[in-house]
Amino acid sequence: MGGNQSAPKITAQDRAILDLKLQRDKVKQYQKNLQAILDREEAIAKQHLEAGHKDRALVALRRRKYQQGLLLKTDGQLENLQQLVSSIEFSLVEVSVLHGLKQGNEVLKEIHKEMNLESVEKLLEETAEAREYQREIDEMLANNLSLDEEDAVQAELRELQAAVRAETEPSNDVQLPSVPTSAPLVAEPVAPEERVERDSARIAIPA
Amino acid sequence: MALSTHTTTTGFLLPSIHSAPPFFTQQPHPSSLSIATEQWIQIILKYSRHRRLFTIRVEDSETTGHDWDEVLRNERINRKVLPSYLSYILAQMVSQKLAAYEPPKQDRSVLIYWRLPEEWAEVLHEWVSSTGHLNTIMTFYEITDPPIESPLSGLPIPLLRQAITILSKTNRAQIIAIADGEGVRFFPSTGKA
Repeated sequence: MGGNQSAPKITAQDRAILDLKLQRDKVKQYQKNLQAILDREEAIAKQHLEAGHKDRALVALRRRKYQQGLLLKTDGQLENLQQLVSSIEFSLVEVSVLHGLKQGNEVLKEIHKEMNLESVEKLLEETAEAREYQREIDEMLANNLSLDEEDAVQAELRELQAAVRAETEPSNDVQLPSVPTSAPLVAEPVAPEERVERDSARIAIPA
Repeated sequence: MALSTHTTTTGFLLPSIHSAPPFFTQQPHPSSLSIATEQWIQIILKYSRHRRLFTIRVEDSETTGHDWDEVLRNERINRKVLPSYLSYILAQMVSQKLAAYEPPKQDRSVLIYWRLPEEWAEVLHEWVSSTGHLNTIMTFYEITDPPIESPLSGLPIPLLRQAITILSKTNRAQIIAIADGEGVRFFPSTGKA
């Protein structure tokens, strides 16, 4: 039928997974059955006790104990089955991830084939040459000023540079000579003045 | 005669007509018969939806101690639906596509469609998507008896099969059969119908 073509094919792996899951279901149903038997045995044991048949109650309880052991064993087997099912499903996921990686890798290789190293280098060289050429053209066009004007411009640039240097340097020149001459004269009067101010400050507070 | 509604022990509200003795007898007059039958069908559908019952049989009107007691009998007025009347009601439901004879080719037991198979198909696909079971193999038992309660718990296998068939027509399900049994795999819905 035309409509069913888009559904993926059923692989042998799918059948294997289904088989495992059906076994798992069987074990689950067996467990349910066992649980029902356990409950019934308990009820029977109670009945016997009420009727006074202690030994029969004991027999029922022993049966129940044995079945509890079976239940535990099937729990273990169920876990095994579940783990197997999960690992199979996980490995299917891994396979599809690998497949995706492989395809991505091939696409990358194809793209690299188009972009080989020599052609890239050549392209960069040609771009650099073209830029150089353009720079020369710019210079030629800019070189429309006459030689005199060029000298005047250079002189202006030198003056400007000197002015900038003067702003930053003079502050350094002035400070150096002044420090040795003024320090010895000013130090003595400043100290007692400061002390007096401090004493007067102390006197002022208690008052 | 004062008719009243009555709430059953399971919390289902029976309509007042259920307290009327004539309601339980198959009326001879065609128009009153059709009205009464229609009411019965509605009660059966609502009750099965309320208690998640999927089948009703003619046998249920012959015996007691089962799920349909509260509806098919009214102890307070000492009336019950007779098997012949129930058989007629079931036939009406099947002709209106609200039920189907299951197993087929007999007329004593029906599967009730308190939810149409198409609706079940949608609910099924919705549940499979939301529990993350898309693109994985599932067994029928997993769907009808999941460890966590789902809207599909207890769904009878024939109804499940119908829902899966409907989904497979839109390429959203695929049945896989092996020697030991059957399974199904669901796919996400694509945008196109």
